[in-house]
Amino acid sequence: GVQAVPKETEDKSRSGVDVSGLFSEMVKACATVDVVQKKLVYVFLCSYATLNPELSLLVINTLRKDCQDPNPMVRSLALRNMTNLRLPSLVEYVEQPLTAGLRDRAACVRRVAVLGWAKLHNLQPSSEIDAAVVNELYSLLRDPDPVVMVNCLRALEEILKEEGGIAINKPITHHLLNRLKECDIWGQSEVLRVLQRYRPQSEDELFDILSLLDSFLVSPHPPVMAATLSLFLSVSSNLPAISLAALERVSGPLLAACGSGSREMRFAAVCHIQLLLRSVPGLLGPHYKRFFCGYAEPAYIKERKMQVLVELVNDENVAMILDELKGYCTDVNTDTAQAAISAIGRIGRSYSDRCLQILTGLLGLKQDHITSAVVQTMRDLVWVCPQCSDTVCLALDGCEETLQDIQGRQALLWLLGVYGERISTAPYTLEVLIDGVRSEASLGIKMELLTATMRLFLCRPAETQDMLGRLLHYCIEEETDMCVRDQALLYYRLLHCGIEKTREVLQGRRSDPSLGVLIGRPAKPVSQWARCFNTLEPLSQGAVEAESDRSDSAMRCSDSSTNVLASSIAVDCAWIEECVRCPAVLQCSPQSLQAAMQLVNIQTLAFTPQHMLPWRVYLYTHTQLRVSEDGQEEEEGIKVILNQQPKDDDALRQFLTILITVLNTLSSEKD
Amino acid sequence: MIHSLFLINASGDIFLEKHWKSVVSRSVCDYFFEAQERATEPENVPPVIPTPHHYLISVLRHHIYFVAVIQSEVPPLFVIEFLHRVVDTFQDYFGVCTEAAIKDNVVVVYELLEEMLDNGFPLATESNILKELIKPPTILRTMVNTITGSTNVGEQLPTGQLSVVPWRRTGVKYTNNEAYFDVVEEIDAIIDKSGSTITAEIQGVIDACVKLTGMPDLTLSFMNPRLLDDVSFHPCVRFKRWEAERILSFIPPDGNFRLLSYHVSSQNLVAIPVYVKHNITFREGSSQGRFDLTLGPKQTMGKAVESVLVSSQLPRGVLNANLNPSQGTYTFDPVTKLLTWDVGKINPQKLPSLKGTMSLQAGASKPDENPTINIQFKIQQMAISGLKVNRLDMYGEKYKPFKGIKYMTKAGKFQVRT
Repeated sequence: GVQAVPKETEDKSRSGVDVSGLFSEMVKACATVDVVQKKLVYVFLCSYATLNPELSLLVINTLRKDCQDPNPMVRSLALRNMTNLRLPSLVEYVEQPLTAGLRDRAACVRRVAVLGWAKLHNLQPSSEIDAAVVNELYSLLRDPDPVVMVNCLRALEEILKEEGGIAINKPITHHLLNRLKECDIWGQSEVLRVLQRYRPQSEDELFDILSLLDSFLVSPHPPVMAATLSLFLSVSSNLPAISLAALERVSGPLLAACGSGSREMRFAAVCHIQLLLRSVPGLLGPHYKRFFCGYAEPAYIKERKMQVLVELVNDENVAMILDELKGYCTDVNTDTAQAAISAIGRIGRSYSDRCLQILTGLLGLKQDHITSAVVQTMRDLVWVCPQCSDTVCLALDGCEETLQDIQGRQALLWLLGVYGERISTAPYTLEVLIDGVRSEASLGIKMELLTATMRLFLCRPAETQDMLGRLLHYCIEEETDMCVRDQALLYYRLLHCGIEKTREVLQGRRSDPSLGVLIGRPAKPVSQWARCFNTLEPLSQGAVEAESDRSDSAMRCSDSSTNVLASSIAVDCAWIEECVRCPAVLQCSPQSLQAAMQLVNIQTLAFTPQHMLPWRVYLYTHTQLRVSEDGQEEEEGIKVILNQQPKDDDALRQFLTILITVLNTLSSEKD
Repeated sequence: MIHSLFLINASGDIFLEKHWKSVVSRSVCDYFFEAQERATEPENVPPVIPTPHHYLISVLRHHIYFVAVIQSEVPPLFVIEFLHRVVDTFQDYFGVCTEAAIKDNVVVVYELLEEMLDNGFPLATESNILKELIKPPTILRTMVNTITGSTNVGEQLPTGQLSVVPWRRTGVKYTNNEAYFDVVEEIDAIIDKSGSTITAEIQGVIDACVKLTGMPDLTLSFMNPRLLDDVSFHPCVRFKRWEAERILSFIPPDGNFRLLSYHVSSQNLVAIPVYVKHNITFREGSSQGRFDLTLGPKQTMGKAVESVLVSSQLPRGVLNANLNPSQGTYTFDPVTKLLTWDVGKINPQKLPSLKGTMSLQAGASKPDENPTINIQFKIQQMAISGLKVNRLDMYGEKYKPFKGIKYMTKAGKFQVRT
């Protein structure tokens, strides 16, 4: 029949055949009473209109005629397609039917017309905004149809983007809130999102709003629940008690979303739970089993669930959680296995004996990816808990045979260097590597090897002297990479300065077990993460965290010489400059500064020699803040240049406060 | 909000695209393909992928990735929920949501997408309203259409959006007035080696098929409504009444719809309907492993456990399995190492078992981990949570409808660790 023609054309165009030649035929076919044929023709015309702007003028006539049709469905269809043509030249023909559409008696036409204005605005964003239209849209917020109301909101947001979106005042806010029930879940989420800009004028009004919102907070639809909580947190940002109560109330629906049938929904929910836990670490303690991983769950969910499990550990459940995590360590997916191992390491900061037992057991499996993750985890663990080092030293024996990847071998080298005196086989392990250094491809391994051999030389000179000599000789004479050569030269010259100087530089930085200023995670205020709740940020944050962990270890590995440090930082990220007012520190000796810094867990990496200008100190601290460089003294203050990853203003402020306190204490001692 | 949608199959071909604002080039999907390549399993592709100018938010269902292209910051839960709604709608319309079904019904698919989003904002997502606007295809209708050349829109124009009750059309008439409710529960559980429950959850739904004349107003009450932890209703349910009296009161949509879905979590004790006795051992240095599995019913209130299917991913080192089922048939795929055993019905008098040996690669070390066993089953006439409908009443219309309620329990993700 007649209908078959447009359908066939449509099928052809979809299969890639160029049918733009048929445009004029299709325009004729548009003048039909059959709705589906109309739809098909419209789809065709919209996709080819840009190629054939001349002819599309023809179609406008038909569309305008359809806008007068007695059937509201036809009217709305015509109007929608008219605005979908996306041709700036047609704007003048579209405005009149759109204006009429706003006053149509059928709600479905008004819905389309309202959004049509937004599309028209997108078509020519630079043109002036018609105040009459904007006024009409504002008044349509009171339309009896809830979808028209929500579409008005959406349209105004787009049209008034430059001015910061729709103006939210008290009457509009209360009108929208009162009609929230009528909207579908999409509309509710939209309204709740827009209302975040509103600030209640009094406390009474605030509580009115909160009680209106209360039932939406436990909505079974995750998008609505999340949007409500987001609004709750933004209006009650000055009332932490209310925010915390809201978090408690929302934990039920969020947990339910964690068990949702959709894995994407589960993932999003777990990510948002991680945000909540930052402020209320104990919130979901009793529900820890909900975060056990299913066998067939995707790796990205498993990883997040393990992060949550680490946060939920307490005396009662630690055995259960560790048992569960142990099961994941042998997962077929190596990423999951490694994430499980590092999760056990995190728990090890509080329950080191149990965790070390598991980690040591895993080494027995002799699987390279597992061994690598275990060694890296052990390195991170002894950095925070030096009391674990005895067990770690015993466990390391023989695992160099299974290690394959660069990160794992680097971690092993670091451990051999720092705890070499307690690992009997350390010199032999290093010797094998030194003998094979010619065929070693990784830059990181070579540098780590240099540092480790130097450190081992300091505590076991007799066994190491010969191989250190060979290594330095190779690195200075034959190595082509500048970084490695420079580092070797630095060590060589350092040795010339005498063994004591060398010791100062290389062994100056062990963390003291009794201190933990920047370590450990205190509960953070809700306001710190409230604005990123229900956005994409928490879903992509894990990747950033993992990355910073990696750069963290890279940093630690290449810490021993300043030029290496500088080169590795330059690529890392931008520096933050901060001028700190504090008394002069030039008078105090580097040693006392270093000692003072160590008391607060800030490690000194290197100094420029005294009496040089600008005088510089390179400092380093673990956890949030990576490296800071302090120096260049002027009359009144010192310039502190900081490098931090990921950016965290709170930690930065804490760090600066500590730094200033230390410097102040030092100078007051001088007086 | 949602700029464009791409449908991508497992082999990485874009087989459908739809743009609501401007046309976004297909090349944006390259970032998706990269992630797809990196992922070891299809389901390991992360649901949110940032690209320099867009975000790609995807859901994977029925081996198809539904990839939404987003240009500005959006609530992720919103987009994910919407994408699932799209899939549900396709499934509802075509019975299955496969690449072939979508390609066969490409016109209806475009019609649906056009109605579901306007300018990137969700418009009509309610299945009842959509069916008013666009008739779902049926085999008969497709055949008739091919012969007569007509399309799948009825002569009558839709009236749905003009009705006072937005989810129900006006002027419904039936000669037989009937209302059927299916209570379907899926149990997700992880059972540990010793047979104790690690986690157990029940996801339940009540699906309705209501064919009633006029504007009926129904109430449905439960014997034990407190069981339900997290409940999600069809928009027709009056929430206030549920909160106050725990009674479902609603004017139903016409035809099939999901009245509510709920969740019974480990806070309430969840009954486990089957148990597994297992003895799967590998010995160091031996090239043989033992496999011994017995299934039995428990806490089923006397109802039969049917359509039982056991599957297990055996360790990589297993070359072949030589087993003997007491009933049903088993297969072992030596390439994928997947063992499946189609058990059928469990007879409590004679418990089904699968016993025998596995041959291992010579010289290989003993596998680190014992396999996990996944079980599927069905139990008719019982809701495992114990949920029971008390009564169903109708107001607002004079006639006497025929009412029916059916219960069923299925295994969801039911795993036993060995």
